[in-house]
Order: sequence, then C-alpha cells, then structure tokens
Amino acid sequence: MFHVFMEYIIDLRKGSKMDNGYIENGFIVDVSNTSKTSEIIYELSRILDLPDAQSKKVCLKLGSVDLTSAELTSIKALVESMNSEIEFISTSSTETIKSAEDLNIKVSFLENKVPTPEFNNNQAKVNNELEKALDKIFGDDTTEIKTFAQGKDIKKLKEELTSQNILTEGPATENIEKIVNIKPEAITPENQMETINKSSIDNAEETQDSSENIENELENFNNQLENANKIEGLDLEDVDFNLDNIRKSLRETEKLPTLYIQRTLRSGQSITSDGNIVIIGDANPGSEIIAKGDITVWGILGGIAHAGSAGNQYARIRALKMNAIQLRIADVFARRPDNINIPYIQKTDTFVPEEACIRKKQIIIHKIHEA
Amino acid sequence: MSGRVIVITSGKGGVGKTTTNANIGTALAKAGKKVVMIDTDLGLRNLDLLLGLENRIVYTIVDVVEERCKLKQALVKDKKNPNLCLLAAAQTRDKSAVTQEQLKDICEQLQKDFDFILVDCPAGIEQGFQNAVAGASEAIVVTTPEMSAVRDADRIIGLLEAKEEIKSYKLLINRVRPNLIKSNDMMSVDDVVEILSADLIGIIPEDTGIITSTNKGEPIVNDEKSLAGKAYNNVARRIIGEDVPFLNLEEPQGVMAKIKKFFSGLTGKEK
Repeated sequence: MFHVFMEYIIDLRKGSKMDNGYIENGFIVDVSNTSKTSEIIYELSRILDLPDAQSKKVCLKLGSVDLTSAELTSIKALVESMNSEIEFISTSSTETIKSAEDLNIKVSFLENKVPTPEFNNNQAKVNNELEKALDKIFGDDTTEIKTFAQGKDIKKLKEELTSQNILTEGPATENIEKIVNIKPEAITPENQMETINKSSIDNAEETQDSSENIENELENFNNQLENANKIEGLDLEDVDFNLDNIRKSLRETEKLPTLYIQRTLRSGQSITSDGNIVIIGDANPGSEIIAKGDITVWGILGGIAHAGSAGNQYARIRALKMNAIQLRIADVFARRPDNINIPYIQKTDTFVPEEACIRKKQIIIHKIHEA
Repeated sequence: MSGRVIVITSGKGGVGKTTTNANIGTALAKAGKKVVMIDTDLGLRNLDLLLGLENRIVYTIVDVVEERCKLKQALVKDKKNPNLCLLAAAQTRDKSAVTQEQLKDICEQLQKDFDFILVDCPAGIEQGFQNAVAGASEAIVVTTPEMSAVRDADRIIGLLEAKEEIKSYKLLINRVRPNLIKSNDMMSVDDVVEILSADLIGIIPEDTGIITSTNKGEPIVNDEKSLAGKAYNNVARRIIGEDVPFLNLEEPQGVMAKIKKFFSGLTGKEK
C-alpha cells in the first residue's frame, strides 16, 4: 500500500531553519502504519523511486517502531542513495530517538497545522449518515442509492425546485436537511433483470442486437448527463442554492494543500490525502483515491473516488472521462449503473470533462463549462 | 442453522475457481438456499466482477476484521437473487491483512445465517490458501484436464488431506473438450480421476459463453441454453445431495456445430 501524506506545514521542536514551518524542497514520508523495519525500507524505496521524490529533503514519520542505530543507519543510507537526505524524523519510540541522537539525526514533532475548514466535521453525524446510506444500499427491495444522473430523477428534482421554495437562510447543511428527500426511481431488481435479459448475448446471431442495445444505453446515459447539465444551470442562475455558502466552501478547498501525482494509478493502489489530489494520468478500475478536498483526474477515472472524506459536502470530483465504479462525496454514495458496460465506453476517443458534486443529497455529474 | 463451509481451490491459477464459485453460488441460491460467497483473494479480487457487483462494494473483508464495519454491513446483496450475498476482498491490501483465525471467526458467524458459505481461494499454496481453508469443512478442487493443473491439484489434495478440519473433498473438472478427448489430444475425465483418485462432483465443458458472461458480470447458470450453465446447475444439485447423472457432453449442439464437424471431417483436422 502506497501512502504519501503531504503535510506541508510542520512544527519543529527547536531551531527551525525553515520559513514559517514549511520544508523547502522536501516532503514527508509517512510510514507510521508499518510495524517492521523491512516494511519501512520497502515503502521508502518505493516512494523514493519516483522521479519527483529524488534530490529532496525527506522527513520520516516513523510511528512506534523501535529502531536500532544500525537499522536507522541503513535507512539513512537508502535515502542518501536516492540523492536525498533525511531532514528529521518523527517517532514515538524512545529507542528510535536514542539511536537517532547517536547518528545526529534530528528528531521532531510533526504536527498537522493545515487549518481544518469548518466542514460538517461532526463524526457521529457523518457516521449516522453513512449508516443511512448503507441501509439504502443493502435495503431489501428498493435500492434508493442514486446512480449517476438519472434523467427521471433530474426531472423530478427540477419540479421540486420550481414548486417548492427551498430558499431559506442559514447554513447549507441545515437547508439540505429541510429539503424533502426525493426518492429517485431506483433500479429495482425487476427492471434490472429486464435490461440484462435484453442485452444478453447468447449466440453469435444476437451480437448485433446487443451492441445496438449498448449504443442505446450510451445514448441514454449521455442524455441523462445533459439533463444533469441543465439543472446545474438552473441551480446557479435561477435558484441560487446558497451560492454564498458554496463559494465560501469552494474557497475552503482552495486553501488546502494539493498532492500532485504524475502517473497512472493502477488497480490496488490507493492514494490518501488531507488536501486536494490532482492526478495527471488515469485512475484504473480497482484504484482508490481518498481526499479531504477535491479530486481532479486528468485522464480516465475508473476506480473509486472519495472527495471531502472529512465531511465537506462541497467537495468535487473532476475527470476528463468519468467512468468511476463508485463516487463518494462526503457521506453520499453513488455507483455506476449496472447496464453500462465500461469496456465499450473506454473505446471512444472523445473526452468530455465532467464534474461530480452534491445536489440535494445526491451526486450528480455535469459537463464542466468554460465559465 | 449451521451452514456448510465449502472452499473452492485449485493450486494452479486460471483453471476457473472464481467462475466455479460464482456459478455454483448462483445455482444454489436459485435452488432456494441462502448462500454467501467470500472472496479471499485479497489484492487480486475478481469474484465481484463476475457477479457484476463491483459498483456496490463499500466495505470489504479487511474492513470487517479491522472493525471498521459490522459483518452484516459488508455483505453485498446480489442484483437478482436476495438469497445470494458476497463478502468482497480488499483490492488495496495484500494477503497478510487477514489471518486464519479471523477468517475462521467470520465463517463461524456466517454459519448461523446461511446454508452455504463458499470460500473463493486464491491461487498458490501460501498464506492466501491457508487462510481460505482455515474456516472450511469441505473442499471442491477445480482442475482442468492438463498435466500442470492435475499436478497442482494433486499437491492441493495432499495439503487438504493433512488438514483435520477438511472432512471431505470433491473433484471438479473444468474446461473439458470432448472433441479433443475423442481424438486423444486431451486427458480424459477418467484419466484425471484415476490420477487424483478423488470423488468427482462435476464435469464442465469448455464454453465460449463463459467469456461473454464474465464480461457482462452475469453467471452462466442464468443462461438456460448453455451447456456449461447446465453442468454447473447439476454440480449445485449434487452439493445439495441430489443424485444427478453426469451430462453427456458429446451431444451435438445445433446446426452450426454439425456443419463445422462436417467440414473439419472433410479437411481431416479431427483426425
């Protein structure tokens, strides 16, 4: 498992050379979840192998592992072999501190001083919502979980918006709770079966039909996306969905540090960050991106993306091509429709940048405007 | 209620463990049994894909053992059949994330609520295999009529016999091609059974429908017409305890097959 925690602002116990606590030309490697020296070395060599990680100052977050001075020397040698140097280490083990002092390595506290935006950070509440979301997924008959931008829901949503005057003052979270929970016409097992039966390929003769079906599905999907697009416009211009709050919250994610990754995320790889994540490359199915802020993928997003993992309802997920298996923003889940077969979609060359965000407790996807 | 825990294993990779698991599980559920499938192939999970449940997974087996969620929450219900559940493996972790005791514990908990617990075993004989076998009392060894797969199955049977918990094991021969057996280019089912000297529970013919069913995330037992689907259905019935005769795999499968046979007969490829 690959973890790079970017915590730019740190606190040094004594004698800081660094301005305002920033490490110039350096980064922090968090290996505090490892329990063995071999694991630390494995993780370190993996991280330091990245071209971006070379010739930098490295701060090691070690956790509670007891390291002898010999072991620490080998770690130091490993870091130096990658043209980097250890700036300081952070550990909770007294033995490691002792051996670090022998080797003249600075020991320091690492304190995350990134200002935590005032999100819906109440963990109990988040958990509660999570439970609810899970009940929806695992509920018996009607799956209420929102699949990506379904046309019918959007129409309903629109009606809801025009008929009900939902504009009340106060914090956005409160508003959302006041809004009547619209039950989308979820994919029930019955009509799902229908679509599957329709598109089932048994013989070579039927292949033609099924590919047509897939095209139809794609068209539907695109239509739905366009519908979603409309409501986006409606929201911003006519309804003013607590615009001030949205803007304020968007600025909050702007303040967060951003982890910038220039490679393809493959199946099984997982990136977690306390800030925003930008990936230049694809995120393949089976990968996982979890950020407290926004997630932007300059490529095809095919895995799981969780933005606003600490509860920020205004976090967004953007991708040049949105094929995600699951999208999660704060405590809202959405999954890919079952009737869309992704290998067929990935064949197309057209890239339409899309953005997912929460509207009325549901995740919708819309095209990104120039504005 | 105390459910039967059956591990589906093979030693060699690519012989169809996961396909077998998905199909037997679906067939058992269709027969009205309560079934849960556990994917223990941490880091290389596939069972969810075959069942088309990938987009529904929120919690995995690792979340259960690390107590981030309750066991019940992690069970993903099948799209069609409410009797069928999946406990998915974590894709971002490796085999060491779960121990034998933890898996045993999970199996014991699930036994209370389900008739059948099917454990999908990873390839190999290392920790992943040891974990998967830990909670099981029965085993199905999947093999293909190839020397390498039979050799690995033999090794696996040896390991299973050494385990006290495994009360019985059955052999399932997958991807059988009657035409090749006829022309002596493939080991016959009898050969395999003789080498491994184990009870046979099923013979599954090679079927191109498996590929499309895998891509669609729809087990082939749902396809009434498919021969492989029928064979898997029969395996499920044998597991329940019915006495079902083995399918005659050599029966002609339609006009196209006959024409093909005719032409291959002309060119002499069959001989």
